[in-house]
Amino acid sequence: MEKTQNNRAWFLVLPMLVIVAFSAVIPLMTVVNYSVNDTFGRNEFFWAGLEWFDETLRSERLWSALGRNALFSAIILAIEVPLGIFVALHMPKKGFWASFCLVVMALPLLVPFNVVGTIWQIFARTDIGLLGHTLWSLGIDYNYTANPLHAWLTIIVMDVWHWTSLVALLCYAALQSIPEAYYQAAKIDQASRWKVFRYIELPKMKGVLVIAILLRFMDSFMIYTEPFVVTGGGPGNSTTFLSIDLVKMAVGQFDLGPAAAFSIMYFLVILLVSWVFYTVMTNMDKEEGV
Amino acid sequence: MTRRGWAVLAGAVFLAFAAILGLLVRAVPRGDEGPDWTGQLVEGGWMAWTFPVAVFFLAIAALLALMTLLALRFPEQPRRGVLRIETTRGDRLFVTLLGSAFINLAWLYVFGIDGPPLWGALILCLVYAAAVFRWV
Repeated sequence: MEKTQNNRAWFLVLPMLVIVAFSAVIPLMTVVNYSVNDTFGRNEFFWAGLEWFDETLRSERLWSALGRNALFSAIILAIEVPLGIFVALHMPKKGFWASFCLVVMALPLLVPFNVVGTIWQIFARTDIGLLGHTLWSLGIDYNYTANPLHAWLTIIVMDVWHWTSLVALLCYAALQSIPEAYYQAAKIDQASRWKVFRYIELPKMKGVLVIAILLRFMDSFMIYTEPFVVTGGGPGNSTTFLSIDLVKMAVGQFDLGPAAAFSIMYFLVILLVSWVFYTVMTNMDKEEGV
Repeated sequence: MTRRGWAVLAGAVFLAFAAILGLLVRAVPRGDEGPDWTGQLVEGGWMAWTFPVAVFFLAIAALLALMTLLALRFPEQPRRGVLRIETTRGDRLFVTLLGSAFINLAWLYVFGIDGPPLWGALILCLVYAAAVFRWV
């Protein structure tokens, strides 16, 4: 049967375009405008040209926040992805415990971001927090408000607690879709556990893993609420990530021009990484003939 | 649509963009020393529109309109280039614009604000765009 081609269907996309215009395009245009202007409030703007871009590109503050954020994302991915796969492989496949595990795994994902921060802020306190006080009682000089390493460890463990289940649940869904016949064939061939993982389970999980890595990268690269609630970006600037720095600049100091230039560069990095992931994902699908 | 119809449509789109550009030029504030090209187009407006930024967005809108017309007039199949990924004209435009942003930032970082003007980076971007449309 001949497929009808009707370009008028594009008009159906118009309502969505209007929504996107208000939620994304107009704010983005405003940010570009602010990045070349200076303001002291009252909607009075003065042309600054490329000054803010030049200043931001040379600012130690931007590069160190970018470095900290990149390190944070790398650590998070290096822990959460293998751990998520490990958990998914060891979750029960059916019965009561499968449902139980799914509910328990989904719980951290349902907690609002600022509540996660508050939970860990209290949990890690040495005077009333269970974790902090236990470590203190064991003779470990743990103090996340004064020691940068402890602050980093607390935030990393918090993020692992919050988000590993997302990776695990995605992998679990992919594992559930593998037909039993594959495992039976592997058993007949006397394949080792590693080979079953490498040639049956991992290829089936590839698609969801790329999505999980993309989601976790984007989220950790934009992280704001949890570290802000736990450490407020400190001690010093040791846990000041890009978003925290940006909010300090735009809302705290009302430096709208430099903050807008900073935002545009931040946006470009995210856009580049998203494009790379999107291209990898779509090309992988095409090669597999999905 | 006939060949003539396409020409009329392309001409109408071109005229629409030219008219918007004309309106923008008219909106530029003028003082005793002539037009202030970097002045506020809307005095007291919260979006802080200036002529250079407005032209920048108009150029992007014109590129999107051109790409839409080309896609309608000359439908194309995706192809594989040096990056070994399938790309359409739209993909190549995206790669061009994204790469151009980084080229401009790199120019500013290397030469600084007092160095050679960004027009140099724009020429580099055009060379880069030609390369992307030819080989990617």
